[in-house]
Amino acid sequence: MELVLNEQQALLAESAIRLAAARGGPRRARALRAAHHDMDAEAWRAVIDAGWLATVVDEPQGGAGLGLFDLTLALEQAGKQILMVPLAEAAAAAWVLAKSGRAPSVLADLLAGTRLIVPATRAASWGYGDADLRHDPGANALDGAMSFVPFAPSADVFLVATDAIVGLVDRTAAGVAVETKAQVDGATASTVRFAGAALAQVLALGAAAQALTSALHEFLALAAGAELLGLAAGTHEITLDHIKLRQQFGRPIGSFQVLQHRAVDGFIDVELNRSLLYRVLAAFDAGEHHPAMASAVKARTSCAALAATRAALQMHGAVGYTDTHNIGLYYKRALALAARYGGELDHTARFSELTHAVSA
Amino acid sequence: MAWDNTTLFVDDDPADRAFRAEVRDWIAANAPTELCNRPTRIDPPELKPWHRRLYERGWIAPHWPKDHGGMGATLTQQIILFEEISRVGAPTPYPHGLNFIGPLIIDSGTPAQKARHLPPILTGDVTWCQGYSEVGAGSDLASLQARAVLDGDHFVVNGHKVWTTNGHFADWMFALVRTDPEAKPKQAGISMLLIDLKSPGVTVRPIQTIKGDAEFAEEFFVDVQVPRENLLGPLNEGWRVANKLLGSERFTTGHPRNAAVLLNKAYQVAELTGAGRTPGFRQKLASLEIDLLAFSAYYRHAASLHGHGKAPASMAPVIKIVGGELGQRASELLVEAAGPLGPQAEDLRLGNLALNPAGEMFEMRRVTVGSGAVEIQRNIIAKRVLGLPSA
Repeated sequence: MELVLNEQQALLAESAIRLAAARGGPRRARALRAAHHDMDAEAWRAVIDAGWLATVVDEPQGGAGLGLFDLTLALEQAGKQILMVPLAEAAAAAWVLAKSGRAPSVLADLLAGTRLIVPATRAASWGYGDADLRHDPGANALDGAMSFVPFAPSADVFLVATDAIVGLVDRTAAGVAVETKAQVDGATASTVRFAGAALAQVLALGAAAQALTSALHEFLALAAGAELLGLAAGTHEITLDHIKLRQQFGRPIGSFQVLQHRAVDGFIDVELNRSLLYRVLAAFDAGEHHPAMASAVKARTSCAALAATRAALQMHGAVGYTDTHNIGLYYKRALALAARYGGELDHTARFSELTHAVSA
Repeated sequence: MAWDNTTLFVDDDPADRAFRAEVRDWIAANAPTELCNRPTRIDPPELKPWHRRLYERGWIAPHWPKDHGGMGATLTQQIILFEEISRVGAPTPYPHGLNFIGPLIIDSGTPAQKARHLPPILTGDVTWCQGYSEVGAGSDLASLQARAVLDGDHFVVNGHKVWTTNGHFADWMFALVRTDPEAKPKQAGISMLLIDLKSPGVTVRPIQTIKGDAEFAEEFFVDVQVPRENLLGPLNEGWRVANKLLGSERFTTGHPRNAAVLLNKAYQVAELTGAGRTPGFRQKLASLEIDLLAFSAYYRHAASLHGHGKAPASMAPVIKIVGGELGQRASELLVEAAGPLGPQAEDLRLGNLALNPAGEMFEMRRVTVGSGAVEIQRNIIAKRVLGLPSA
């Protein structure tokens, strides 16, 4: 269903559709994967110029004073066109920097596109263990590691966030080592190791750090959820086109009821998830934080994107099993984004803990 | 603070918030406590005093226009009334008169039909049932065979209607009957008749449901005379008349609260039996609750778009499919939560709450079949919304 948008939001949504279609697309994503680039630098420049990052930063801090709702209009299109840019990550970093108010020049660089800052953070509920990171207040240095950090090879600065500290560390600082593994879609997940690595700046400590990190996790889950929603919507459109055209037994396979019902279920998932996401985002922007709702969004959008891409592969038949057809890339992208910042299983369990704690 | 799965779904509009507060206060003082949260079916005669009380308060037909005795209310206000009534476990009035034939008579009826039929629908004095299904015409409703032949100033009706909810309690039936057996397509030969079930030649037999209730009935018509003035809309245009019911009339039937109530019961029973300590079962409950949140958001979104005149064509079938399937899944989890108590025929007692998990589950089989099976709803979306070709 359509969203009720104000004029500014409608303009943003339209420009996002145009930009993502012009700069993204599976062909482009495939070329980047072949060249071992986890990030599309040209598309990123266009995203910076379009001011998408500024949506989540208030005007006095150099932003547009909109919200995550508005950013998500763009994220949905980025997801739909497999735009390989760190939009969710850089926006999350910008939002945290703006909230802390401690590093205006770093924020300005990030918004101008001259320095890329991505979060290096981990929640216990995202699976595969918690962050193992210690802060030495005396030396103001970090020891330990943070795993599964996206876009680490392209980042200039890491926004390190734990329950004890939120701070900035330069990627090239002494004692920082980045070990990168490619993912199936061409993205990367890195382990960033810190051995007495100096913090360039501390943004928050103690309870303030815990609150900021928790909000950052919520932001990342919602932003990734928006990309997954767009990915599922894009998959649905490609699949509809395919089953309307592909002929077997003398008629389009989209005339068969079994395939029609699969397509309808994909459509319903997209519709429900869009309503859920935007409802939760409106609350988020109004300052109401519902961690359980963020988990609901990430669980459901992860599940739906995987279900949609699997159904799409089945409906594409043998060509879906090839590497040359685009639909397989959508499946791989869904896998990567669904696992990022906690998958369906992780977030469903977290939702359960947050909403219905087991009585002892 | 206890988790409240309606947290995000507070009313946006201050007028709606005020209306909800007003309704909540009134319900607190006036709800029929003897009927609230009752595990067994409440038949129409038992519902009449409660129907009457809502009528006297002016809230029985929020969606009807004011000049026909309604409130001329928005869909959101209609939903608020439904939510507040069901929040305390009170029954909502049956929809056949108020939501189905009432709006059709308002739309297509003659002045005489309106004057005769609308007031007793509002007061609850007359009970209606819907005569659509036949043995050979379920999902393929246009194949219906019940015949009505015009003979001077009346129709002569012969045939058999079945699966009629409240048929054995109803005073009147609105029926789709075949008035032109040669018409092509089949839909073009169907008319809508308002039939007094006390007429000579009508036999009504209750049918027990899988739950064990006598919820529905079958009716045999042998040379039943129906006055010509009981034709609703033009002759042979009954299909069009019936399809004028917009999705909004069926909005409350698919309300997410129906599934939410069952899910909350499943949580309570899981606490009693210890099923709630099993991680796998907790995961299932959480997964369903997340789906339910998404559906609640969709439902709100749809109601708001409807208020802007922008409700999409997919809205009614999506609500029907998702509301029904989630309700069904919730009822299955309720039985699963009960473990060895699941197959028990008699009610469980939970504090002062009596509930019957298997009965609730059996009842929920209806929601994916009645008034258009979910498969038919998916066909509608495939063709009308996704533009997929016909077989």
